[in-house]
Amino acid sequence: MKANPTRPSFFHHLHPPTIPAPQARFRYTLGAGGLSVYLVLLLVITGILEMFFYVPSPGEAAESVQTLAFLVPYGWLVRNLHYWVAQLLVVVAIIHLLRVVFTGAYAPPRRFNYLLGLALLLLSLLLDFTGYVLRWDEGVQWALVAGTNLVKSIPILGEGLYRLVVGGTQPGPAALIRFYAWHIFGLTLALVGVGAWHLFRVRRDGGIAVPPPEARRDASRISRFELVRREALAAILATAVLIVVASILPAPIAPPIREGSPLAAEARAPWFFLWVQQLLKWGDPFIFGVLIPVMVIVLLAGIPYWLPNPRPDELGRWFPAGNRAASLLLVILVIILLLLTILALSPLSTFP
Amino acid sequence: MQTIRLFLASLLLCLSLLGAAWLQSRQPRPVSLLPTLTGQVEYCLTCHADLPEISPSHPVETFGCVLCHGGERLALDADLAHSTMRGGRNPSEFAVVEASCGSGDCHSGTAQDQRDHIQRAVTSVQGTYAGAIASIRFTYGAQSDQTARLGVYPVQDDHLTTATGLASLGTFDPSQESSPSVKAFADYCLDCHLSAEPLPGAQYARLTGCAACHTPTANTDLDQPVHRLTTAIPYTQCNTCHNRGNYDLRQMQFHPRTDQPVDRLHDYYQPIAQFVRCEWTLDCVDCHTRFEAMGDGDIHSNKKEIQYIQCRTCHGTLDELPLTRTIAGQDDLALRMAFLNPVIDLKVGDTVLVTEQGEPLWNTRQLADGAFELFGKATGQRFTFRPVMGTACEQKLDQQESRDCHECHSVKR
Repeated sequence: MKANPTRPSFFHHLHPPTIPAPQARFRYTLGAGGLSVYLVLLLVITGILEMFFYVPSPGEAAESVQTLAFLVPYGWLVRNLHYWVAQLLVVVAIIHLLRVVFTGAYAPPRRFNYLLGLALLLLSLLLDFTGYVLRWDEGVQWALVAGTNLVKSIPILGEGLYRLVVGGTQPGPAALIRFYAWHIFGLTLALVGVGAWHLFRVRRDGGIAVPPPEARRDASRISRFELVRREALAAILATAVLIVVASILPAPIAPPIREGSPLAAEARAPWFFLWVQQLLKWGDPFIFGVLIPVMVIVLLAGIPYWLPNPRPDELGRWFPAGNRAASLLLVILVIILLLLTILALSPLSTFP
Repeated sequence: MQTIRLFLASLLLCLSLLGAAWLQSRQPRPVSLLPTLTGQVEYCLTCHADLPEISPSHPVETFGCVLCHGGERLALDADLAHSTMRGGRNPSEFAVVEASCGSGDCHSGTAQDQRDHIQRAVTSVQGTYAGAIASIRFTYGAQSDQTARLGVYPVQDDHLTTATGLASLGTFDPSQESSPSVKAFADYCLDCHLSAEPLPGAQYARLTGCAACHTPTANTDLDQPVHRLTTAIPYTQCNTCHNRGNYDLRQMQFHPRTDQPVDRLHDYYQPIAQFVRCEWTLDCVDCHTRFEAMGDGDIHSNKKEIQYIQCRTCHGTLDELPLTRTIAGQDDLALRMAFLNPVIDLKVGDTVLVTEQGEPLWNTRQLADGAFELFGKATGQRFTFRPVMGTACEQKLDQQESRDCHECHSVKR
């Protein structure tokens, strides 16, 4: 890997020539941003491979998934990878969000890019949900019905929005083709577009958040070549781990939804929506299923705008003092969401 | 340092890829089957290649597996593949039989097109157990006569063809009964209808639904699946329910027979029974007809209303020959039945015995000298016999029931 430092390749050129060494450390970044980009790349590749076999019609969708999982050579690997990479992306994106808030890196001029990041997290969740529904088997039936009914619960706009999303009065062929189009095209395009914008803004906003030069204890920097080497190392390790996980743990699969299929006895949302499922047990679907989740997002989006930001000389390290309020708010929010998730998983909590 | 790390990581990646390749090499090679009736490929044979074909009438290239059994035809994971099977291992269970044996109008339809097998079996006394229920409820004062009102499941019949046919039966619900004896009957005596799980023991080993009779499981271990359907039903299969013991109506208990028969003569009936030679040398199905065993399409109150074969059906009486019919065309039911179980090479122009209800005894044929031959449906054995007319039989003309024949002809054992 001898590269000529004077003539960086296209890929090297995507990186800044040098970045400050303390902030390039894994224990500062957790590698979450870079890993997210790599995971999206893996998702696009495995997703394209899946498209060669997937048939987006209610009669054939689940059977085409079975074909992929059992009959296509390495189809199981591609499908399991797509599934596990998608789960990991949600985890890594949340870790990235936590890192940014706990280090106060969202402070101006990076406030807007923080919002772009939040949008990317939401897009990932929507992609996960639409991808989950594409299985069109008994395992996703509850989430499909409950999820789309949430849309219906919105006052005034609900009915119209529901028709827009589902394409009829109940989930059917139109709903599946819409979810498919959103998954492979609409949402993916948005994710790639906003993602590119997010990366552009990282560079435009001055790269990774660092204190002003006079406040730095360690002024050393690493080159883009070193940075790319670290990224490659992380990507190779992540791929190896994912292949092992995808080989051992198959992605969920269930019998197709057929005429008269009963709703599964154990109705469970995908794990990242378990907290919403738990909230839904407590009352009005609009308040608990739509309003409160939207308020959580608004609260997250408001962090850089409504709460005290860290001072510039506090940047580039974990838990700066000037950022206490934001950190505390996020910790409380994370604990609440975790508790709701645990509650949803506990056998004591039954759906009314 | 960096280079070594990258090298080690790449090594790890290569190992993980090798692991995935190893797993792929261990995947079973899919064995596909494209049944002509469904036109949809299925992969059940990947694991089930060693199963014998269920019957010559259901060739696997034509029917495949999924048409009868359901299940996920593409899944090579046993749990998923089997998760949607109809009736578990037995798709002929009455709860699912319409979707399996009845689908595609195979064994479900009208009496006119001879496809009402399911309708007849489900409404038969063997299916509803209406006779036993009516008799017990009458005995203990829960109903005023012996006409059946309840079955183990509700049934309905819009098209009555016999004088004793009933329009419908409700569900026998023990919790609605006031008599302790009727409740005890429900607890201890509902083991022998076609939907009931058999009592434990190899002598009771049978499946449920159509397979209770058509899958030979008698004296086997039910944990070993039997993949066979047949119309050559040996008496041992009937004996998984019949001739197994007696019900004590005071204790409301079943007392299994205690003898240990070593030969067919002693095995066929219980020690108390009176019977003639042809009864134990033949199998039950050699004389008892489809209507008797599977029902005639009407709901009946008891066995007496449906069992009508007598000695005279085959042998006639002193002044009457048995009823016969000459097979006129290829579509004759007798020919079709003989085709299913080719113990006899029946042809158009042959004359077979028929019952008073017009059912052909298709395993018989009239010989040139006026005698008859009969082939055992389960054994293939050939028997010949003559009509009573013109013999030295001393029977009175007004005593022509089988029990009257037994007076002279019963077997001593």
